[in-house]
Amino acid sequence: MTSPVWARRRAAAGNVWREFRSNRGGLIGLAILLLFILGAVFAPLLVPEAALDVTKATGGRLQAPSGDFVLGTDESGRSLLALVLWGSRGSLVVGLSATLLSVVIGTTVGILAAHFGRWVSAVLMRLTDFFLILPSLVLAIALGVVLNGGLGTIVLAIGLVSWPTGARLVRAQTLSVEARPYIERSRALGGGHTHVIFKHVLPSVLPLVFVNMTLAVGTAIVAESTLTFLGLGNPNDVTWGTVLHAGQAAGAVTFGAWWYILPPGAAIALVVLSFTMVGRALETVLNPKLKERR
Amino acid sequence: MSTPVLQLRDLRVTYPGGMQAVKGVDLTLPPGQTLGLAGESGCGKSTLAMSVLRLLPKDAEVSGEILLDGEDTRTMSWGRLRAVRWAGASIVFQGAMHALNPVRRIGQQIAEPLRIHASVPPGRITARVAELLAAVELPIDKTEAYPHELSGGQKQRVMIAMALACEPRLVIADEPTTALDVIVQDQVLKLMSKLVTEQGIGLVMISHDLSVLGSVCERLAVMYQGEIVELGTADTVVGDPQHPHTQALAAAFPTIGDVASRYAPATTNPAGLPQKTVPELGEPVLRTEDLKVDFRRRGGGWTHAVKDVNLEVRQREIVALVGQSGSGKTTLARTILGLQASTSGRILFDSKPIPRSSKGLKDYRRQVQLVLQDPTSALNPRHSVYESVAEGLRIHRLPGDEREQVAAALEAAELRPVERYMPVLPHQLSGGQRQRVVIAGALALQPRLLVADEPVASLDASVRGEILALLLRLRAQLGLAALVITHDLGLAWNIADRVAVMYQGELVEVGEVEQVLLEPRHAYTKSLLAALPGLARLA
Repeated sequence: MTSPVWARRRAAAGNVWREFRSNRGGLIGLAILLLFILGAVFAPLLVPEAALDVTKATGGRLQAPSGDFVLGTDESGRSLLALVLWGSRGSLVVGLSATLLSVVIGTTVGILAAHFGRWVSAVLMRLTDFFLILPSLVLAIALGVVLNGGLGTIVLAIGLVSWPTGARLVRAQTLSVEARPYIERSRALGGGHTHVIFKHVLPSVLPLVFVNMTLAVGTAIVAESTLTFLGLGNPNDVTWGTVLHAGQAAGAVTFGAWWYILPPGAAIALVVLSFTMVGRALETVLNPKLKERR
Repeated sequence: MSTPVLQLRDLRVTYPGGMQAVKGVDLTLPPGQTLGLAGESGCGKSTLAMSVLRLLPKDAEVSGEILLDGEDTRTMSWGRLRAVRWAGASIVFQGAMHALNPVRRIGQQIAEPLRIHASVPPGRITARVAELLAAVELPIDKTEAYPHELSGGQKQRVMIAMALACEPRLVIADEPTTALDVIVQDQVLKLMSKLVTEQGIGLVMISHDLSVLGSVCERLAVMYQGEIVELGTADTVVGDPQHPHTQALAAAFPTIGDVASRYAPATTNPAGLPQKTVPELGEPVLRTEDLKVDFRRRGGGWTHAVKDVNLEVRQREIVALVGQSGSGKTTLARTILGLQASTSGRILFDSKPIPRSSKGLKDYRRQVQLVLQDPTSALNPRHSVYESVAEGLRIHRLPGDEREQVAAALEAAELRPVERYMPVLPHQLSGGQRQRVVIAGALALQPRLLVADEPVASLDASVRGEILALLLRLRAQLGLAALVITHDLGLAWNIADRVAVMYQGELVEVGEVEQVLLEPRHAYTKSLLAALPGLARLA
């Protein structure tokens, strides 16, 4: 019987795509994103990893953009194009995995709190409130310093800081789903907690989680850049944030080396913007109430 | 002859997409008269009501003439239309609980049309509101109340007071009593007929219940698929219906005491009805002993929802549990299913107390199944019929071929051919079909007892009989016992063997259907029966 179910899901996905396609902002965002992802995946083919090695750098110190170096060079003579291209790998990976971590924690906490209610809800929600009121940047910096290490630490720091809003959102949605009579029917049929959560609650919460996730990636990328710009994490990992940090340290601003600051900054802005555009477009497609208002 | 309050000439309403909701309706209503408009959901009766005051969505095409006191509302200017709305004709909307603003006091809401239309000087508004409240027999201190502080019947009275505020010539009441109990319904209906005769207004009353309309209206129009199929005096339409659809509507609500409708809900199903003989009853399947359920009230104190209930359901027996809303019926049902913990007392299934552990409860729920009131919300909108029916099988990991078992359950619930229904999603089905899916889902586990909470309350009249007949056939074929919870005494007369009457958490009367409904002993049962619209009981 799986085949008709899958056929229906395929049809549903087709519908989502058809509606998404009619949203121009979403399409543009998706195109830019694909471009960045392709660049990140094929970076080793476009620019060999050797270009990041300071000892093998061919350019001069802080050269302005020219035919040889399209985006100029840094203080060690490395091509900035290579740095930004390789940096996109780090930034995207950190952004996506931090979001995934935060969404997994948020969704689990939200569903458990709403489903079990009573003291479970009280405990989990107070915990959520605790994380919600902490100044997230300070907490992330503290975590980054204490845990010490590379990109993994940054992922952990961002993930642990950003889940509470998701948890609140998922809890609200779960509460509204659990009030429907079909949950009562399912219980009367003998369904236990796992059955209700996985068969009824999770599938109806997931679209919301998905939209929320797309929007959260942007925030995570900005958070990653902030943390690495402030000098947390391993400076040898190449991300947009570390490039900016290096530029700041090398005195790119006083030198007037705009080509050092602008490309990674623009890359961050573009990626965050396109994630937001895709997220908003998905939101209008998946949430019929927003569609009516347009 | 005076100008009719309302005259419709060849009224047609077409919704975008070519759906013709109203197809050429002619109606006339003289002042001081009540016209009943009967029909099932989707027949166009609400569209007709809304079209009178041009309250339809902009993209609906309206043609024909709508004469309100001789003036066509279709050609009125915007300003004139605003003046006519509420002052000339007003509407008592369906579902009083949703038509009132929850954050404003009752007095302010009644005064709103008075202020807008300036029909009384500002200094007199308070006095006029008091007058209106008195007219609908509500105490004056209710002006300060918020809607949630009122009962359903009181809210309905407020709606009527609002409709009367500007002394309109015409009042349209759209299902004014649908959500109300029989006793409250009786009071509201009496009040409305009194106001019509006293104030000489024209009243159009819309309902799906012929017995309600028959007791209030002088003339009755029956609507079917956008057309008036029968029009005449109330007595002839109800007593001697001509059109097959009217006959079906009239038959759907049985006359209590009429032997012909005993064990015979209206059905056109070729499967027919099982023999009318009372089946021999077996051992008790379910018994409650001094069952008590209390809820802690907000702000202290306890609500005793179920008080010392002793109820028995035997094998192959259909027991109807009758009572007003808030009488504790649903709490009792949920407790029996183990969805609600009891405060004290015992529930015995097969002479053994029902288990409290989660594994024990799971096994218990294979034996006892629940059918909910509103099939639309009782099915997960994302699950196909197949998945919904198979849900119980998957939970209990029953041996055997799942597809065969689902097919058998759908077959038993008479959804044929089963292959056509399996991949369908709930929103593609009608209300009756959805309720059959819910029943099939319960049957798939081969339970011995079915607890049905208002199984037909949200269904159309013609579907009602079909579902009830299905319950009777299931009892005959599968030996299924059932506890049917309802506020509808006609339902008990139609299918039940015994009736238990519940009032404020207590069972006040239990016994054979004939004995309880024809010779009631308890005062509450008597008042329930007395409140039935005249045509629904034998004189």
